[in-house]
Amino acid sequence: MPFRWSRARYPLAVALCATTSLVALVLRPWLDQANIVMLFLLAVFLVALRLGRGPAVLAAFLSVACFDVFFVPPHLSFSVADVQYLVTLVVMLSVGLITTHLTARLAERQEAAQARESETRMLYGLARDLGSALTVDQVADIVGRFLGSMGMSSALSIDGSAGGPADFLVHGALDEGALACASDAYRRNAPVTEDPRAAGMMFLPFSGATRVRGVLAVGTGRAERLPLLDTVASLAGIAIERLHYAEVAARSELDAESEKLRSSLLSSISHDLRTPLTSLVGLADALAERGTSLPDDSGETAAIIRDQAHAMHRMVSNLLEMARLQSGRVMLNRQWQPIEEIVGSSVRLLDDSLATRRLAIDLPADLPLVSFDAVLMERVLCNLLENAVKYSAPDAQIILSAQLVDAELEVTVCNAGSGFPPGRVDRVFDLFARGQPEPAIPGTGIGLAVCRAIVAAHGGTITAENRPGQACVRFSLPLGTPPDVSAELA
Amino acid sequence: MTEPPRILVVEDEPQIRRFVSDALRKEGAMPLAAGAARQGLDAIVTHEPQLVVLDLGLPDMSGLEFIRSLRTWSRVPVLILSARTDEQDKIEALDAGADDYLTKPFGVGELLARVRVLLRRHAADTDATPLRRFGDIEVDLARHTARCGVEDLHLTQIEFRLLAVLLAGAGKVLTHRHLMREVWGPGHAGQEHYLRIYVRRLRQKLEADPARPRHLLTETGVGYRFQL
Repeated sequence: MPFRWSRARYPLAVALCATTSLVALVLRPWLDQANIVMLFLLAVFLVALRLGRGPAVLAAFLSVACFDVFFVPPHLSFSVADVQYLVTLVVMLSVGLITTHLTARLAERQEAAQARESETRMLYGLARDLGSALTVDQVADIVGRFLGSMGMSSALSIDGSAGGPADFLVHGALDEGALACASDAYRRNAPVTEDPRAAGMMFLPFSGATRVRGVLAVGTGRAERLPLLDTVASLAGIAIERLHYAEVAARSELDAESEKLRSSLLSSISHDLRTPLTSLVGLADALAERGTSLPDDSGETAAIIRDQAHAMHRMVSNLLEMARLQSGRVMLNRQWQPIEEIVGSSVRLLDDSLATRRLAIDLPADLPLVSFDAVLMERVLCNLLENAVKYSAPDAQIILSAQLVDAELEVTVCNAGSGFPPGRVDRVFDLFARGQPEPAIPGTGIGLAVCRAIVAAHGGTITAENRPGQACVRFSLPLGTPPDVSAELA
Repeated sequence: MTEPPRILVVEDEPQIRRFVSDALRKEGAMPLAAGAARQGLDAIVTHEPQLVVLDLGLPDMSGLEFIRSLRTWSRVPVLILSARTDEQDKIEALDAGADDYLTKPFGVGELLARVRVLLRRHAADTDATPLRRFGDIEVDLARHTARCGVEDLHLTQIEFRLLAVLLAGAGKVLTHRHLMREVWGPGHAGQEHYLRIYVRRLRQKLEADPARPRHLLTETGVGYRFQL
């Protein structure tokens, strides 16, 4: 009510009618009766404008009565001498009531508009506060204070899971019944009100742009406040989703940073380890080639130093490769290519050690292209060939073959020899596993583990097996759909 | 040759610089040494070497910048030494104008073989004969024919073009991108599988054992090298 003394509205209306009657009585000698009617209508209008609908209706009837009693002959009586006055009275009452109705409705509308405006301003304030919230706790706090200022208590129940089964984090106090209602509202994505488990409470689910994020629980809320509460809930949902994505972005930035750090660390370790090995290989080589100017076995010693440095380099390379593969995010540089690309280069890299064995290569000429990372797959082949040399006698046969089996390309490296120890065949791919408990042949047991990691990264499989008089390792790569190369590239 | 060839070694590790210089001196060359990129560029201006051996991991300038800057005014052959396993660095350096690379650690024999090829290429730039021989194969670049002994080899147009480009760069590493551009023209990035298929066909026609090629060698992850 715009008028402050709302309890005194009816007496005021009566007083105004009385005053109007007095003034009219005093002025009666100078005023026409039509103008006296006008004075009464003015009073009714003022009452309707300032005091509201009820007092105005009262004033309308009172005015008609006063006019009848004091100004319509016979005076001081309700009876009417001239029938014409009946028309006056009826018109006067009708005009008074219609005026009352119109004025009161106008006043009510204005009042509602003002209420709406203040609500909008408050919601705007809430949205602004939520926009600056940095944690979910702050969101809950801001919503709590906002509803608190309207005499309502509130709590937020937020789903912290990422798409999995709901995992609620409650900000505020909710008893068991209320929690059950909240989870109902969440599941149905519809408000829950008047539930016996939580009397007098309302539960409004809220969602961000992508999914339902939680439930706003309101205590002592009234049903006509539902639209407002709905808006509050959506504002909370938007704020919480914003926080969620801010967190996701921060986390992925952190991941990228640590990945960058790891790879730069690996490449600097790799540089630092290879530099002294390069000097060692080079200097030993230079010494070995000095030949005749040295005492008898010095040349041989230098050659051994060089070979050991090379062996160390292979070990270091495998270790670094393993570290890189185990860091989890290896970007494969996959290209469609024939497998002989890397067969030739692997064999060439190991020319020196393979010279003491008989190598047979069996590759059908029409093998399809396969998509793989050439550098990594070359390491697989090198490791397998190196193992084949290491675990076979001089002049033994090593067979490298490839063939199509179903939808896979299968590459096999076999060497004549005693084979893997029975019972340990499956474990040779484990990191730091060796064929024998105390092997006489030096090694770290990392080569095959690297092979398995690389083949697995390509979606293939690798297995070891003993064949009569042979040890074999076989790996397969999925074929996929090679690009069409039937057309000549113009 | 009356005067020994001058070879500049740009490498920040003194031990590596030392054995490379020693090996070059024994080979009859005159090694010059620089420990940093700027010093190296200055030395190229002053001494006009016939070959530059460049470490990719210099402290004061990336190897790539060095090569780009050098290639604006000099065509001296560059042999890269790279301790990195990252193939991308090598590819970029080669595409920027380097001629060949060696991955650390490398043996003296390997180093000298590369150096000899690059020096010979440099001297033989004015080779006027259209005939090229490797193994039992003779190629006539002018008449677009290839023979193995007395037998004619039938090469398609593209196969011959690829062979000609490989022969023109014999002894050097040729990146996939370079070969694609020279044989098929620009604008075929991402279609390297064509190149690989033609390389396979050439190997089947030219190599005695295509699985163990002796001339058309794969430089894994980088490109190909044609060895005469």
